[in-house]
Amino acid sequence: MSVIRLLVAKDLRLEWRTREILTTMGLLALLLVIVLGAVKSGPGGAPAAMWVTYAFAATLGFTRAFAIEQDHLTGLLMAPIDRSAVFAAKALTNWVGLTVVQLFSLPLFGALFTEAIWGRLGALLLPLALGGVGLAAAGTLFGGLIVQARLREALLPILMLPVALPLVIAAVGATAGIVDGLPLPAIGPQLKLMFLFDILFVTAGLLLFDFVVEE
Amino acid sequence: MRALIILSVALMLFGLCWALLAAPTELFQGVPQRIMYVHVPSVIAAYTALLVVFVASVVYLWRRDSNWDRVAQASAELGVLFISMTLASGAIWGKPVWGTWWTWDARLTTTLILWFIYVAYLIVRAWAPGPRGARAAAVIGIVGVLDIPLIHWSALLLRTLHPQPTVFRAAGPALPGSMLVPLVIGIGAFLAVYAVLMVLRTRQERTLQILAESLEGS
Repeated sequence: MSVIRLLVAKDLRLEWRTREILTTMGLLALLLVIVLGAVKSGPGGAPAAMWVTYAFAATLGFTRAFAIEQDHLTGLLMAPIDRSAVFAAKALTNWVGLTVVQLFSLPLFGALFTEAIWGRLGALLLPLALGGVGLAAAGTLFGGLIVQARLREALLPILMLPVALPLVIAAVGATAGIVDGLPLPAIGPQLKLMFLFDILFVTAGLLLFDFVVEE
Repeated sequence: MRALIILSVALMLFGLCWALLAAPTELFQGVPQRIMYVHVPSVIAAYTALLVVFVASVVYLWRRDSNWDRVAQASAELGVLFISMTLASGAIWGKPVWGTWWTWDARLTTTLILWFIYVAYLIVRAWAPGPRGARAAAVIGIVGVLDIPLIHWSALLLRTLHPQPTVFRAAGPALPGSMLVPLVIGIGAFLAVYAVLMVLRTRQERTLQILAESLEGS
């Protein structure tokens, strides 16, 4: 646990000094909110626009997460720590980054699409968190895989989006339900699907990351 | 091997002739219903291929035997081929029967998403040669199959949230024998073709590897 905390602290400190990932992710998210809002703004479009924005911001941010390790990845992997700890730390950092972007863009969705979002911030945190964890887990697994296989970063969305589609579909459904004022049990199946996706990809990441980064 | 080729060709010809000429014409759908004799066998071959990718990928990561990697690769290629055939034949059938080429039905959506995942798998294989690419591909092959139930479930949710003009499959479970027999022959034929192509493709890759190794050695 302390190893994970150390690694996360290192990544966050690095990010705090460069602000590279958050700037690019945040700007892309802002841009997508504006573009999607300009094309079609209306209460019905908010949930889909939100998750398209988050999914694309995630793919952009997560490609950088391993790229910043370029020269140090070998050092990180040679450290006497469990590989699954490296995965957990990277996924956590990615999740923190994505959460920041999610929280900052929420008011914008409220302003451009529907103000109902502002009134249900508390309930919205649930799908945001469940969706964020799933995107972070899947994105970290595939991000590590792409960097280690010396593939182009442009491959991440092509790999990650189809695999994460069930999560995104469920997240849009759950968000739409909350924005429409439905009680939580009404979106139970969506939340359950997201939870299962999270468990599946966190487990797969912890188990398979060892094979992914192996020299 | 030769026997397998002859068997698959014979089954394919026999099954097609039966399906197109001898099988009765369905009352409501008419002639387009005969697409089923191609559509259902290709989807069964496709899912068989993906299952083989999954098993071969797990064994490859576990044992590190490149034979299993070649099996996974060959099967993924054939999986994409059969998924493409499933999507194409389904769309051609859907137009006259449903009145639309495409609908966001759970099965259709699942099949389409799987096509994307395994095309990405092939891109990774093509761009990252050697053991690095093989391990990356194995992880995708494993995760892709584990994702199938979630994809299907999410597609079901999608439909209930956004009601479409729902058009269900007319084919009930009780298929008359005059249609069931050519269908079973068709399934056998497609699985035999899958087996033939698997053997050919893995042999081809094996030869390629031996050639590459001997060139390195000289």
